[in-house]
Amino acid sequence: MLRKIKPYLLLFPAAATIVLLFFGGLFDGFLKSLGYFPAIGETGFSLKAYSSLFHSDAFWDSLIVTIRIAAISSVLSAFLGAIVAVVVFMMHEKSRSGALNLWNRLFQLPLTIPHLVGGYVIVLLFMQSGFLSKILAKVGVIEQIPDFPVLVNDSFGWGIILAYTWKEAPFVALMVYPVLERIHRKWRDVSRVYGAGNWDFIREIVVPAILPAWTVAAFIVFVFTFSAFEVPYLLGVTYPSMLPVYSYQLYSSGTLADRPEALAVNLILALLTVLLGLIAYYFSKRWNVLKGWE
Amino acid sequence: MKRQRLLANTFLFIFLLMFIVLPFVPLVLSSFSYNWKWPNVLPEIFSLSAWKYVLFDNSGTWQAIGTSLLIAFIVTAINIILAVPAANALVRYPLKGRWLFEAIIFAPIVIPAFVAVLGIHLTFLRFGLTETIFGVVLAHLSPTLPYVVRAAMTSYNTLSIDWEDQARMLGAGPLSRFYHVVLPHLLPGIAAGASLSILISLSQYLITFIIGSGQVMTLPILLFPFISGGDPAIASAYSLVFAGMAVAALLILDLALKRYYKKKQAAASKGVRE
Repeated sequence: MLRKIKPYLLLFPAAATIVLLFFGGLFDGFLKSLGYFPAIGETGFSLKAYSSLFHSDAFWDSLIVTIRIAAISSVLSAFLGAIVAVVVFMMHEKSRSGALNLWNRLFQLPLTIPHLVGGYVIVLLFMQSGFLSKILAKVGVIEQIPDFPVLVNDSFGWGIILAYTWKEAPFVALMVYPVLERIHRKWRDVSRVYGAGNWDFIREIVVPAILPAWTVAAFIVFVFTFSAFEVPYLLGVTYPSMLPVYSYQLYSSGTLADRPEALAVNLILALLTVLLGLIAYYFSKRWNVLKGWE
Repeated sequence: MKRQRLLANTFLFIFLLMFIVLPFVPLVLSSFSYNWKWPNVLPEIFSLSAWKYVLFDNSGTWQAIGTSLLIAFIVTAINIILAVPAANALVRYPLKGRWLFEAIIFAPIVIPAFVAVLGIHLTFLRFGLTETIFGVVLAHLSPTLPYVVRAAMTSYNTLSIDWEDQARMLGAGPLSRFYHVVLPHLLPGIAAGASLSILISLSQYLITFIIGSGQVMTLPILLFPFISGGDPAIASAYSLVFAGMAVAALLILDLALKRYYKKKQAAASKGVRE
């Protein structure tokens, strides 16, 4: 008997913690989004918060901005990350020295940096009177501060996109690199025998090999940028804001009436991320991204 | 040909260096600047005043670093205690409804933590958990625990039951089996999970802010007003301290692990000689 229930006993503390603190929170939020809130005497259920959300422009604008920013950031960081990984891989092949292990460590630097700091780095680099603007002015490309485009706290979201691209490209590179390492050195030699240059090798062998892991990595970046708060809070504008920021604005605006709406935004956000997460999971299983090939 | 390759390599090297290092240049320069005016590429006056303010004048800095690390270490310790048995069960036992347990434990990787935290906020308020370090610790658990379980599972995957059976046959009880056989094998995985847990906990802003209500001053809470429109020199210095704290915490963990293995190795070779 004890043998049979032992694994469940081992699992219980961790699972209970998540159920209580996480799913409890989701459920608590769900009830309140329906207007059920006994502490202030509200015991009825209604879909008022959801219907007023679906009728507000602010919500749809926010959803569109969120999808746009997440899509552009994930595509850009996927390309940059893949280029970086392939470049390091090709260099590694040539030099074969252990010194290049240093690169692996260096890559992790943007990953280790907290998002708030990453966001601030982008502010200093790209704001209108920022570092790049200063360099361009010294070189003589621009003459006044307003000549530099507005890239931080702009309504399109370029600042957020730049921050995520820089922060997440190393993540994509780290996801792709192990796959590259499994490309046998012999394959390179064989391709050379058949007269393939560097570029042919990359196109015919490297790209098809990394495609599954690469797609999944890009997708993970999409889901993450879709639902993260810090960077858009720092680098975005008040309107239209990304969904997590929009929810926080509603929640902290002061009136209790807005809170069910904020929690409704949250629930929608959670549902969307679960959906996206399931898609990523499905493809990573199907393409065997994590196991690779023999 | 050879020269060409060298040139290409140098070019790639510079490209990568620019990508990783260049973004930090204005941050470092700005932290040592005083009233850095456009369009000077270098600050006209170098000054230590921002660093002096951050490290010495504002006593809040060290307190915030202490609070951040305290929360991160408590969270990580709880995570390890919860994650190791869970990983053991998930990897080595036949389980009914395994997918459900995995879905529960790994859900916070996908769903952002602040969704649950905003939902539970008023309940925490009622129980008096807001504005307390304990409340913040509870809030940090769900976004970090899944990563520690994941890491511990990776280690359990390569741990053979035979080794434990062997130890059992040599007369080792459950505790000493765990301590001498299982734990050394799990440590790298646990350390990897702990690094992630510490890193994630240290960089939380929103959920700390909501549950701590501005009363639990971790470093990100202290730093935010500066980076969203405060003095750039002080904001830069704080950002560097913040990033440095995260990197240092990871390096120390890495070093501790290496030292543990060296000691272990030394002990093993000594044992052989005797």
